[in-house]
Amino acid sequence: MSDRRRHGFILLLVAGLVAASVVVLTQFKTVLGLDLKGGVELVYQAQRTPQSNVNQDALNRAVDIMRARVDQLGVSEPEIQTFGGNQISVALPDVTDQTRAIREVGTTARLEFYDWETNTLLPNGQTVASVLKTLPPGFAQNQGSLTPVQREALAISQGAGSPGGGSTSLYDAVKLASKQPAVSNAGCSRQQCARAGPEYFMFGAPGSKACATAAHDSGTVAVPGEQCLLAGPEQPTQDVTNAHTLFETCHCLPKGVTPSEGQVLTVPQGTVILQATSPKFSLNGAIPISSPTAQFYVLKDHVALFGTDITNPQQSTDQSGNPDVSFGFNSRGQNEFQKVTGQIAERGVLVSGLGTQLNQHFAVALDTQLVTVPQIDFKQYPNGIIGGGADISGGFTTSSAQQLAQVLRLGALPIKLRLISTQQVSATLGKQALHQGLIAGAAGLAVVILFLLTYYRILGVIATAGLLAYALYFYALIKLIPVTLTLSGIAGLILTIGVAADANIVIFERVKEEIRAGRSIRQGILTGYRKGLTAIIDANVVTIMTAFILFVLATADVKGFALTLGIGTFVSLFTAVMATQAILVTMGRSRLIGKPSALGAGKRRFAWRFDFMGASRYFFTMSGVILLVGALAVGGRGLNLGIDFTSGTRITASLQHRATIAQVRSVLTANGASNPTVQKVASKSLGPYVFQISSKPLKDANAVQTALQVKYGVRSFDSKTVGPTFGRTIANSAIIAIIASLLVISAYVALRFEWKFAVPVLIALMHDILITSGVYALTGRQVTVDTVAALLTILGYSLYDTIIVFDRVRENIPRMPRAAFSQIVNRSMSEVLTRSLATTSCTLLPVVALLLFGGGGVLGDFAFALLIGIASGAYSSIFIASPVLTHWKEREAGYRARRQRILSEVGHVPAFAAAGADVEPTAKRPRRTGRLTAPEAETVSASEFEQMKRDLELEEEPLAGRHTSTLTKRLAHTEPEAPAPAGRRTRTDGARRAAQRKAKAPEPMPSEETELAPSSQDDADAAAPAPDADAAAPAGAPDADTGPPAPAPDIAENEGVAPAAKSRPKSRSRNRRHGRRR
Amino acid sequence: MGLLAWVIMGLALWHFTIWLPDRSWGGIVGALLGALAGAALFGLIIHGFSVPGRHATHLSTALEGIPGALIGMAIVYLEGIRRERAGGRALA
Repeated sequence: MSDRRRHGFILLLVAGLVAASVVVLTQFKTVLGLDLKGGVELVYQAQRTPQSNVNQDALNRAVDIMRARVDQLGVSEPEIQTFGGNQISVALPDVTDQTRAIREVGTTARLEFYDWETNTLLPNGQTVASVLKTLPPGFAQNQGSLTPVQREALAISQGAGSPGGGSTSLYDAVKLASKQPAVSNAGCSRQQCARAGPEYFMFGAPGSKACATAAHDSGTVAVPGEQCLLAGPEQPTQDVTNAHTLFETCHCLPKGVTPSEGQVLTVPQGTVILQATSPKFSLNGAIPISSPTAQFYVLKDHVALFGTDITNPQQSTDQSGNPDVSFGFNSRGQNEFQKVTGQIAERGVLVSGLGTQLNQHFAVALDTQLVTVPQIDFKQYPNGIIGGGADISGGFTTSSAQQLAQVLRLGALPIKLRLISTQQVSATLGKQALHQGLIAGAAGLAVVILFLLTYYRILGVIATAGLLAYALYFYALIKLIPVTLTLSGIAGLILTIGVAADANIVIFERVKEEIRAGRSIRQGILTGYRKGLTAIIDANVVTIMTAFILFVLATADVKGFALTLGIGTFVSLFTAVMATQAILVTMGRSRLIGKPSALGAGKRRFAWRFDFMGASRYFFTMSGVILLVGALAVGGRGLNLGIDFTSGTRITASLQHRATIAQVRSVLTANGASNPTVQKVASKSLGPYVFQISSKPLKDANAVQTALQVKYGVRSFDSKTVGPTFGRTIANSAIIAIIASLLVISAYVALRFEWKFAVPVLIALMHDILITSGVYALTGRQVTVDTVAALLTILGYSLYDTIIVFDRVRENIPRMPRAAFSQIVNRSMSEVLTRSLATTSCTLLPVVALLLFGGGGVLGDFAFALLIGIASGAYSSIFIASPVLTHWKEREAGYRARRQRILSEVGHVPAFAAAGADVEPTAKRPRRTGRLTAPEAETVSASEFEQMKRDLELEEEPLAGRHTSTLTKRLAHTEPEAPAPAGRRTRTDGARRAAQRKAKAPEPMPSEETELAPSSQDDADAAAPAPDADAAAPAGAPDADTGPPAPAPDIAENEGVAPAAKSRPKSRSRNRRHGRRR
Repeated sequence: MGLLAWVIMGLALWHFTIWLPDRSWGGIVGALLGALAGAALFGLIIHGFSVPGRHATHLSTALEGIPGALIGMAIVYLEGIRRERAGGRALA
């Protein structure tokens, strides 16, 4: 496909995509995340059960059941997803009742039927049934003849699972359970255990400080003379060798309590502790297990039937008109139910004395609480209950019976779920956040456009068109996929505006460079795009890889950011590179860009001539001092880790009526918050009475909301509770993500450049991350999960500038075969510094907009971290990575020899190599396959060939009888029209003389030099003919870049026009790379 | 947190090696590795091979990184000199 056709096709594609995007924008709806819309988010950690291990299949089945439950709640567009291998996040937009959501979505709802007397244990470890069998005849008439154990057994049997009916405190129950023998997995499988693995509890001694602390934390009072629950039940996923270690690492103990202060008790597999029935049923248990009033029974974990054996559970009413839940059995259930009730009836006959009817029971438990313990009338059902179904009654309201029937109908979750994080966002706060995000985005786009127009004029207009197309496509993709747009996603979107503009800047600067070097505008555009593309692809690949790592490892919150960053980077590659190139090339003949000045490529007014490597000592020292302060800040002040890492509850409440901090604190304390921190904050949009509250994890943030509502009226309520497990998961993910990113980045740089280039990159990245950490410690700003996401983005972005510099160093190495490495780097830095400054400014502009307009929440967190990181990244690319590379490369024998040669010839190593010291590197034949963005080789049409001649202002010499015309030779290796002025040798001049010299007598070079000047030694010599012209030029002397534009050799492009290989056979036979012969 | 403080301190001190002659074993990168490893190792040794947590990290924790980093860099520097001399002898 010809160049013109290709660009025409791209323009058509751009126009078509614009039209399609407009259609998508009008037809599709934006899916807003919870943080923008309001709602509830719950995060669960899965734990195994005897019936199922935690694997993706079990998680998927759990998600399906939870989705069905959520549908019953009437929630539209819920998002339920698994992540991290064992976690499930449930986002419920528009839901305001967090407690109900918790109750109905994540409850395991495993229904179990036990033979009550056979399995319930007495304090001495015997089962109730075994003791009942020892009752003397006529015991009912002679209670005094009963032993205490028999009395206890009777009490438990006839107490029917109620509190007080032989039940015990949690400590006594756990102690009794801990004395039971463990049942093997095989045994458990035979007797149908409900629970897998041991459970660990930690109790504090009566009257201990630990108990006082725990009671204070939970807002209760320690019961004198009784042990208190400090932590547990913990169900570790791996075997535990030392239970104290488990509690050291679980972050589940009250603050200030150490594992050594508690007593660890282990409930082995095969024994289960069930909470006594409650007069008021609740799916999640009416009374918390840590409550001093909670009562328990210990049973052998031997389940007769599971919830999977029942069918069609319905809310109904019993004979007294009280609500209950009725259900039928499947065939297995019918058989088992008849069998167990028959055994119970049989035992009833056995234990009933003369004149006494001692009915026996079966127990119905939901998860860890007894729902009901009904009796089996052995006279009515001597052979057990046959066929039909059964009712569960006990403490139900109509609503709670309906809830139970519903969760039973939908089925139990295959795995046990533990709630580790909750978040509730009010719709008001969500709207405010969305508003701020949109303003920040618009402001970011506006400032970037303004910058591009001011700095690049016509090119800026084209870049703006590209940016607008980018914004259109991107938003259409967000709607089309659809991507749930969250606050972090908006941050990613705003950042990609800067990244998209950066790609344009990199190319435009290159185009300007090419035009200033003497190319025609059209050729400048083609060459600029081709050469700039490598650096852009390198930088964008790294960004995409970082986004991918973030997406895989991050929590649901940050996934939005990673996804938008990844999509945005892809889209920007298309709009910023292909689309703008097509526009520019199509406009190539227009008057608008007829003059270099229209592209900002007029005479260079300013060129960097700074000894970067020489000054690097001072910049290193500056960095050292900054890091020193950072280290002291991290040590002295520490990082202010947010609740994402430390666990806790954070509430933002806007009240309708005036309230003081003390009043709000008292409401919190009354609702279980221990020592909460309450701050009054100013917010125009939320009203005059806005409070930010943080405390240890609250069990029920809704209770706080209700209490505040009753006392002061609540305008909006936003809460987030993170449990210790979730915080640990986030911290681990962050560390893994950072390490993975560093490894991937190093591997990529090592592959694209060479491994020695990867090490300075790593050092620079480490420098950026640690400086950002130091700044966070110094300012005391809170580190949140969004900060970590921003840090990872910095890793990707910081590399952008480094790659641009290194790309130029790589390009200049073969051009300067006799220069010291510091000279090569100095020159490369001088060439790309403007570009680096422009890209950094362009990215910082939208980030500053985000900081200014994004508010203090998620967007503010992102913006602050990005601001520090990007600024530090740009700095480290220039003043850390490059000097380290220089120092390291100059240790190589070849570069050391060059330096010593220069020293011996001149006495010192000048900052810059002399003008005219360059050689033209051997061009590689461009690969045409699969490179859409690379311009076609100029195997031009006749008209295009004529145009090129006009562009290059060349005239064809009318010589006949040649295979290759003079013109094509000149195109292949452009020579100056006039002799070069004295003291300024051109590359071609040097090359010609070298060829002449070579023709006379090729001299063997010293072995060291042969290694140093890898391509043609003759070229190298010719390129740097004399020390005075090579290395000894004063730093201020004009060089090829700052002097008047010289006609530029253009090997790669001209290969299509003329077979340059024939004119330079020797250089074809070699492949130069970084000054080494292959 | 303690480890972070030591590593930052090590990195900070490494920056000043730019003023020394480039004789470290492995050059400037060798010096970096020496500084980081030295700072972390020394910190670990004086804390009985445990890392101070968030609440146990103080200003002094950061300062504990200094001797380790200096020792690490010195070892790398001396090893560099030793290798240089050995190389010189071999050539001679």
